[in-house]
Amino acid sequence: MTSLPDLKRINDRYRMFTAVTDSTEYDGEFVFSAKDNLTTYDFPATAGSKILEGYRPPFDATPVKKMREAGGFLAGKTNMDEFGFGTFSANSAFGIPLNPYDLNRSCGGSSGGAACAAAVLEDHVALGVSTGGSIVCPASFCGVYGIAPTYGRVSRYGLIDYGNSLDKVGVLSTKASDLSRYLRVIAGKDPKDPTSCAQPEMPEALGKIRSVAVPKEAVQGVSKGVMECFNKSLEALKGMGVDVETVDMPVLKYAMPAYYVLATSEASTNLARYCGMRYGQQDGDLTLRFDDYFTSFRSQYFGDEAKRRILLGTFTRMVGYADRYYSKALRVRASVISEYKKVYETHDAVATPTMPFISPRFDEIADMSALDVYKADFLTIPPNLTGMPHMSMPCGYSEGMPVGLMLTADHWREDLLLGAAIEWEKGFRIVKPEVIA
Amino acid sequence: MKIGLEIHVQLPTKSKMFCSCPTEGEDVPNSRVCPTCLGMPGSKPVLNKRAVELGLTLAKMLGCTIPERTWFSRKTYFYPDLCKHFQITQYDTPIGERGEFKTGNKTIRITRVHLEEDPGKTKRVGDGSALVDYNRSGIPLVEIVTEPDISSPAEARQFLSDLLAAIRNTIDLPDDGTRSVRCDCNISVGKERVEVKNVSGLQNVENCLKYEAVRQLKLLKAGGKVERETRRYDEERKVTLPARKKEYEADYGYIGEPDLGTYRIAEMAQAIKVRETPTAMTARIADQYGIGEKAAKQLVSTSIGLAELFEDMAKATEPRTALTWCTGTVSACWKQYVPEMKDDVISVVKELHDGRITDTECGIRLKSLITGEAAEDLAQASGDLDALVEKAVDEHPEVLEDYRTNEKAANRIIGAVMKSSGGRYSSAEVVSAVKRILDSRI
Amino acid sequence: MDREIVERAARIAHLDLTAEELDRYEKDLSEILDHFQMLDEIPGEDTEGFTPVPVEDVLRDDVPNTDIPPEDLLRGMKTYDGYVRGPRLS
Repeated sequence: MTSLPDLKRINDRYRMFTAVTDSTEYDGEFVFSAKDNLTTYDFPATAGSKILEGYRPPFDATPVKKMREAGGFLAGKTNMDEFGFGTFSANSAFGIPLNPYDLNRSCGGSSGGAACAAAVLEDHVALGVSTGGSIVCPASFCGVYGIAPTYGRVSRYGLIDYGNSLDKVGVLSTKASDLSRYLRVIAGKDPKDPTSCAQPEMPEALGKIRSVAVPKEAVQGVSKGVMECFNKSLEALKGMGVDVETVDMPVLKYAMPAYYVLATSEASTNLARYCGMRYGQQDGDLTLRFDDYFTSFRSQYFGDEAKRRILLGTFTRMVGYADRYYSKALRVRASVISEYKKVYETHDAVATPTMPFISPRFDEIADMSALDVYKADFLTIPPNLTGMPHMSMPCGYSEGMPVGLMLTADHWREDLLLGAAIEWEKGFRIVKPEVIA
Repeated sequence: MKIGLEIHVQLPTKSKMFCSCPTEGEDVPNSRVCPTCLGMPGSKPVLNKRAVELGLTLAKMLGCTIPERTWFSRKTYFYPDLCKHFQITQYDTPIGERGEFKTGNKTIRITRVHLEEDPGKTKRVGDGSALVDYNRSGIPLVEIVTEPDISSPAEARQFLSDLLAAIRNTIDLPDDGTRSVRCDCNISVGKERVEVKNVSGLQNVENCLKYEAVRQLKLLKAGGKVERETRRYDEERKVTLPARKKEYEADYGYIGEPDLGTYRIAEMAQAIKVRETPTAMTARIADQYGIGEKAAKQLVSTSIGLAELFEDMAKATEPRTALTWCTGTVSACWKQYVPEMKDDVISVVKELHDGRITDTECGIRLKSLITGEAAEDLAQASGDLDALVEKAVDEHPEVLEDYRTNEKAANRIIGAVMKSSGGRYSSAEVVSAVKRILDSRI
Repeated sequence: MDREIVERAARIAHLDLTAEELDRYEKDLSEILDHFQMLDEIPGEDTEGFTPVPVEDVLRDDVPNTDIPPEDLLRGMKTYDGYVRGPRLS
């Protein structure tokens, strides 16, 4: 296990934490970290945003509380894109975590700090959060296992909202068995989050995937290096006795716009509360009229991508446009869910690469337009939009950078994914990055 | 003149609408708050079942159509008392639609009934900044919206007063004065409609509408035009004023509230029994038992419980007998009556009805049962009273003749007995004994 | 998506944007919304509620309870005499 002094030194190099414990020794049976949008009573929670700087929540998020109750020691809070708005963890107000395989590249996002911590710290479990792919994307870029469960499987109480109908708390680790163990720790009904109360119990036994569907649409626009790893992975799956079949899922392409409409519509209402009152930044001139006072804080402290998504989400629910965007996106989500359910009539899971390319360099990211970045999520968005459990497993390396294989299962069938990860781990060895402490 | 009202009433729950904070307690600012009603990042709302039940009860009382399923929406706007900067309210599926409410001889149509949370309370300090108390943040409210069916300020007041009485009776709303009701008033004298926001109390609603009606009439008479606008009411000066023009555009941008899910309320509503309004109960009892409006009103206005006792007694015996005893002996000692006595009281009257006991015995046993006084003492006193009454009737034979056609003739006997007994018996006892004895003689 | 709509959305959302920001967001949002036009291509399906899995009838009993003392909640807030301080109302 990485010692605490080492952890602090490693953090100086990779910048995956926004806050690290003051303790010098671990006090618990295992060590975990929490993404900075999960509240805890002993650390600040900023969700990567300047506007929340200084906020110290008076309560633990339910998943954090459950990890502590299971004997976990919370080592720190991990860095992230502001409020989860991003694919590369480059939109944080508190520095950018660096990819352990190449410091010039991104950890992925928005749970970049969590994936980085899982990759470079020994025996570390990271709690991440996914709205549109924020667990599997960084898991893939940092070469670790990462699972985002069914929407509602894990309580969101204490999770600082991005899109309430999309947010999911999950687990990242280098060990497949950790996913199974700790997802069970944090899962379950919580009377403080009504959306967690609809779940059936998670089966004790691990499931077995017998057939996977590969949507044709998912392999278009994927880089050559990633495609090679993906094809090899499909062969490996076949070797494990899994049927692999190519299918048509033409509705998947509508998931991306539907997702961004719903996510930003919800986000723009969630972020309305940040205004220089009650929490976070509060030093302003209270003799200003409230509209001007609120506007000054919001304009000064929200980052660029946060402003872009607030504008987009305000527009998509505005009178005269809400029917065309917001209401339509709800209807499209229903269509995408139906499309998946049809596939699950004959297959246990859907398999695609997690990301269409390996982690890009920061200079490449700087050249991407906002739309380019949104499009980069086209593989991770469909399972997230539909609230279906999905998992990224390390499946190969291209140009020395990790590549992820993503499996998506039907609602509440995490058991299939967890079983697959345990089997996969038997045949795939992670090439760990060289960690300099 | 067309007037429509949007009426906000607080629902009598013990805890808030979306969190467990108590709704009542010490008058200390921000003492009944939690992460949810302070809108703290990470908190989530959980809906109070009682608030839904109370809302459904009112929707049923107003004869509304209740949808299969309901949900909540976010109404986003910026103001210091609204900590999330969105209010959780109902937009596309109110818990009730298309109801009605009778006031006087008129029926006012109800457009919709929906649930929502109250924001906090603000006050100003010297330098112009605000102080906010979030104790009210998250208090459950029901909003009742009427069609523009009201035709005068006085009628609006009457409607509100009757509606509030009906609401109080239906959901046991404590009567904490009439100021607790808050209304948005829509009024048009000509074509354009003006909305006056947030007027509290019956008197203010009437005054505000009167002022606004006169203002609009004068404008029109002078050849001017009424502008479609939102105004506010200045209680001190008793005038309406234009609400400050907004520099910041308001667009509530309603979206669904994903944190709560949906609720199958049609099913819930089926299990809810709505208590009859006093007016409806009076009319029904008068009609169903053929006892006349006056007698029915006497029962209901004494107590709903007495009216209920009457109904059960009438079913066990017959309406006339039940009416005599309910308005007589039982009513005379109603203050000591508790609901647990109901079955025993009815069985005593049933014995009389079946001819197993006499009127006198029935009276004594009922009184003993309710007051707990010993039957022997009562028999003694009653015997004495009966003797006094018999004597008085004998002394005024002309009264008996009169009484056949005119009930009021009994008053002369009653007066005589009250005088001769020197205040030993209550007037209700004397009235009851006189009527019984006169009835038995004719 | 034209300039006027970006400005309107910014006013509603209480964001004061510089000319440079307005230019940039107008360009970005136009590009994004052009792409989103594909939503017009499919009818979608009827749906009730706003979550990807059905969440039904989750209700709480009306029992008052306080688990965090108010002073802990107010600790990080600007207060005066127990009130939360806020900007001028009008």
